[in-house]
Amino acid sequence: MEMTEKIEETAREIGARVRPQIEEARRRMSSMNESATAYIKANPGKCLVGAVAIGYLVGKLASRRG
Amino acid sequence: METRAENPPNGRAAGDGPGTKKMGKKMEQVGHTAEQVWERTRDSVSDIGEALDIQGRVTRNPYGTVAAAIGIGYVLGGGLFTPLTGRIVRLGVRIGLRLAVLPMLKQEMSELVSEIEDEEGKGRASKRTRTRGEEP
Repeated sequence: MEMTEKIEETAREIGARVRPQIEEARRRMSSMNESATAYIKANPGKCLVGAVAIGYLVGKLASRRG
Repeated sequence: METRAENPPNGRAAGDGPGTKKMGKKMEQVGHTAEQVWERTRDSVSDIGEALDIQGRVTRNPYGTVAAAIGIGYVLGGGLFTPLTGRIVRLGVRIGLRLAVLPMLKQEMSELVSEIEDEEGKGRASKRTRTRGEEP
């Protein structure tokens, strides 16, 4: 019983310590997602041309290796 | 002392010969044609833009549009028939199968199990009625 209680307590402590970090990471991810979406919507031409260029380079590299 | 206006180079008067006039007309024509070509190109580019509705697509699905652009670039770069494409397709098929087939299999299994349980329940009930009927 004591062992189980100890394990439970440790798990609770770890959870309490990690939960704020996870929340912070989630908040950062959502803000990054929002800013990326806003940038793409504000500069569609730039983003699409850049994406095509990146795809082209990757395709070139893949065809060279293959 | 002679000035440059009185004695122009190569013995020609500046800007009043028939060759100069012709040249000027030609230049005007070239300018006009270039303007027309530019206007037509601009119109056709705007028409293509309207037909593709790039702005709308980007607004509705920004990540999807960027992914499509990367795909177009990849194909243009000659990466279509390469081992990397094979790997990507295999990975996609595996993920798709997991997402699509596994829930179907789960549903089928649960239906099968419930049917078997129902049949077992019915069998037990019929056995009970039989044994009661045989009793004297």
